Amino acid sequence: MRGTRAISKIAIVGIVIVIIVVAAVVGYFLMQPAKKESVLIMGTTDTVESCLDPARAYDYFGWEIIQALGSGLVEYRPGATGAAEDIVPALATSWSVSQDGLVWTFNLRQGVKFDDGTEFNATHVKYTFDRGIGIADPEGPFVGIGYGDIIENVTVVSKYVVKFYLKIPFSAFLSLLACQASYIVDPKYAPLNQVVEYKAGDARGSHPMGLGPYKLTKWTRTAGRDEEMVLEANPNYWNATGGYPKTQKIIIKFYADSASLALAIDAGEIDIAFRQLSAADINNLKTKTHLKVWQGTGAFIQYLVLQEKRPPFNNPIIRQAVAAAINRTAIVNTVFLGQVQKLYSIIPVGMFGHTDVFLTLGDPNYTLTRQLLAPLGYNETNKLTFKLWYETSGHYPQSPQLAQMLKASLEASGVISVELEGVEWTQYRQERIRETMDAYILGWYPDYIDPDDYIYPFLHSSGGSWLHHNYANPKMDQLIEWARGNTTASVREQLYEQIQELMAEDCPIIPIYQGSAWAVTKSNVKGVYLDITQSWRHWLVYKE
Amino acid sequence: MTLRVYIISRILLTIPMILILLTMVFVIIRVLPGDPVLLHFEKTEHPEAIEEMRQKLGLDKPIWAQYFDYLFGLLRGDLGKSMHDFSPIAEQIFSAFPATLELAIYSTIIAVSIGIFLGVEASKSYNKPKDHTIRIFGIVTYAIPIFFLGMLLQIIFAVNLRWLPVGGRTYPTMEPKGLKMSLSQLPEGFTIHLLLSCMAGLMISILCFAALKLKGKKITRKILGILISIFFIIWILWAWVGWYFISKGELHIATGLYTIDSLLEGNLYKFAEAIRYLILPSLTLGLVLSGVFIRLTRSNMLETIRLDFVTAAKARGLKETTVIYGYALKNAFLPILTMMGLQFAALLGGAILTETTFSWPGLGRYIVDRINFRDYTAIQGAIVFFGILVSIVSLVTDLLYAYLDPRIRL
Repeated sequence: MRGTRAISKIAIVGIVIVIIVVAAVVGYFLMQPAKKESVLIMGTTDTVESCLDPARAYDYFGWEIIQALGSGLVEYRPGATGAAEDIVPALATSWSVSQDGLVWTFNLRQGVKFDDGTEFNATHVKYTFDRGIGIADPEGPFVGIGYGDIIENVTVVSKYVVKFYLKIPFSAFLSLLACQASYIVDPKYAPLNQVVEYKAGDARGSHPMGLGPYKLTKWTRTAGRDEEMVLEANPNYWNATGGYPKTQKIIIKFYADSASLALAIDAGEIDIAFRQLSAADINNLKTKTHLKVWQGTGAFIQYLVLQEKRPPFNNPIIRQAVAAAINRTAIVNTVFLGQVQKLYSIIPVGMFGHTDVFLTLGDPNYTLTRQLLAPLGYNETNKLTFKLWYETSGHYPQSPQLAQMLKASLEASGVISVELEGVEWTQYRQERIRETMDAYILGWYPDYIDPDDYIYPFLHSSGGSWLHHNYANPKMDQLIEWARGNTTASVREQLYEQIQELMAEDCPIIPIYQGSAWAVTKSNVKGVYLDITQSWRHWLVYKE
Repeated sequence: MTLRVYIISRILLTIPMILILLTMVFVIIRVLPGDPVLLHFEKTEHPEAIEEMRQKLGLDKPIWAQYFDYLFGLLRGDLGKSMHDFSPIAEQIFSAFPATLELAIYSTIIAVSIGIFLGVEASKSYNKPKDHTIRIFGIVTYAIPIFFLGMLLQIIFAVNLRWLPVGGRTYPTMEPKGLKMSLSQLPEGFTIHLLLSCMAGLMISILCFAALKLKGKKITRKILGILISIFFIIWILWAWVGWYFISKGELHIATGLYTIDSLLEGNLYKFAEAIRYLILPSLTLGLVLSGVFIRLTRSNMLETIRLDFVTAAKARGLKETTVIYGYALKNAFLPILTMMGLQFAALLGGAILTETTFSWPGLGRYIVDRINFRDYTAIQGAIVFFGILVSIVSLVTDLLYAYLDPRIRL
């Protein structure tokens, strides 16, 4: 009796298993989607921080997607350095500026359509800027960059001609128009007084763009973090006749950290890994033959800010002595495994106007440090002592290691003693505003690609007030204002040289290093351009 | 104390518990350095803009006013809006929760089955090499850091063998939609769905009958009554839900659990993808948790095996498997059940490391994200949600306990 029961039990289990297996196999093959079309899958650890409306979006990834979905009046050609000749026509075909630099006239491209078929004309340009300045979102670039302080008004001259009247002559105006905050919005999707935010299940309604190479066909977020995005070619793109975009469909997958992103590209799950891979992961991926590692000039810089309100850094000689004791080679090689470059000016390498002014102070030059400090009474027994602050939340790459290395290189002079203080990013910002920090490390991503974006916010007495370093030099302010107001490239170049020399003399800020842009792709991916604009140009990338 | 009084007092006790929890979180996150207002400004910040943002977030009020505002909101069932992106917290939590729940369910299943099986095996060969090996295995899995095990599995199965994906919930564009049909037009997957559900029903009934037959029990009138009333309730619910959807003209059932939604959609390809993406994270979490169950099962089994009724059962000539699993395990099961409840609750909140390692878009990652943003309302909301969840799970465990062991009800 027991025997037969056992057999029937086994038989039943067997039958059930067979049914399940057969059903699964048949179902799997029945429901397998048709051969996948040619798509590119990108992986990233970024996420859209606020939304995809240029009136508010002010984060790297938000701008990257806005660039794929929209177009500006002008744009940077691939391989740009930020010089005037790198700016090429996009929605505007030609432009001119008045003698005093206050009136810019743009002739618009004709016959361009938004992705929904609406024809693009001058009123859309006016609408975009009036809206951005009018909304004045405190989190957004229109306030952050100060569009309202630059633009007086935008006037529609005719259907295809638009004039910008400026409040101040502003030499970087074309660069400003090329940045993603200036991308043209579709009034149908962009209410005049309201920021467009993410709407679950409505990808088109979640962004106000529509003139770019791609359409956003899917955007899912769970709990405020992106989960998946799908970009599909926009047949109405103004450069569609030129064969762009080269890839019809791009899927973006989101990973939690560098390690899982590196594993995903290594496992072949994604075609492109772009931002943020750690230095160690990049070094590891370089050894893989099925992958290609792309290195480009980066526009991200890190620097040391010194508090000039009180001793010791109210004395420019002491600031110079500190600048002379920084060993950038050691920092680049040990902290960043050689994947960033040494920076000897606040204007990054590869950008128009850059001069290596801090090199004269040495790299490092401990003799100079000792020479400068000796008359002030600092020596081996009475060391110059200060606290160096850094953030610990991973807001910047390898912050604690960078601070350690800075401390080591400063103390190698024998006459400086550094105490380190690491705090979390949120507190770090509070301490900065309270001006409690004598010396602190900060980083900067550019808004628009122009030397002005590296000078005005740091060295000008009002433009740099957010740093709370209390640096004010009337001569410096004068030079910066001249450089901002002049549109002749050679004159600007001279002015920037003077500004940088004065900076190396005053040393309110000491540049440390400049990051590189890294992307890792499968070896058959082509068309990657990593230049100083930091743009990922989705429409140029394709798989062979 | 009767069971009913017990349940009611337990439910009433959760209220002060959550209140204390909430108050503590409320105070702690405000004591922490860092200001959510400042995080809204990417680079430069103007004092007026900061003040405006402070007012918008309601942080300009005194702290006690903020506290009572939040409490009254909570009483109305309003978890508030995120201080980071201003969207409703409840929505965010519910969008992240299914991912965590799915991971928790599968890893508990894995942990319990590995744990009980190995625990029983170890107790059967007490103090023999097999026992020692299993105990060492238990200690190693318990001690191993989750992210390390996770990355190890990722490197072996995803990078080297390429059998399984590295992370995420499913292949891009493969999210199951659940059962969705407009009632005037049946979807493509409908026939397969129908076939599948028939097959599932068939399988369940075969299993039921087999179980009944094996038990050799007769169906009493009482059981029949219970069954009929259950069916009746389900039928009423079904009719009510059906009517609701018919009146809307569309039927949409989605649980947010991808393995279930893909079956509801009737798409086995999506189901297979969802399982493929689930294997590594749930295996990682399951393995790490199995250590506790191995040790617990083993020690309880060792105690039970020595008892007289086991000897008696053996003496009656029953097969060893029957004695161990049918008699001894049943008696050793109570502490394991408690542990299951506790672990499951911990899993719902604590899969943070696994979720990060496998880019799993669940609640663990949500909380980590929000702590970085100092998103006070989101953190408070998530804590309240967890508090309620944990008390429900532990209540259910206690009830099961009481049901299985009548001594508890005393």
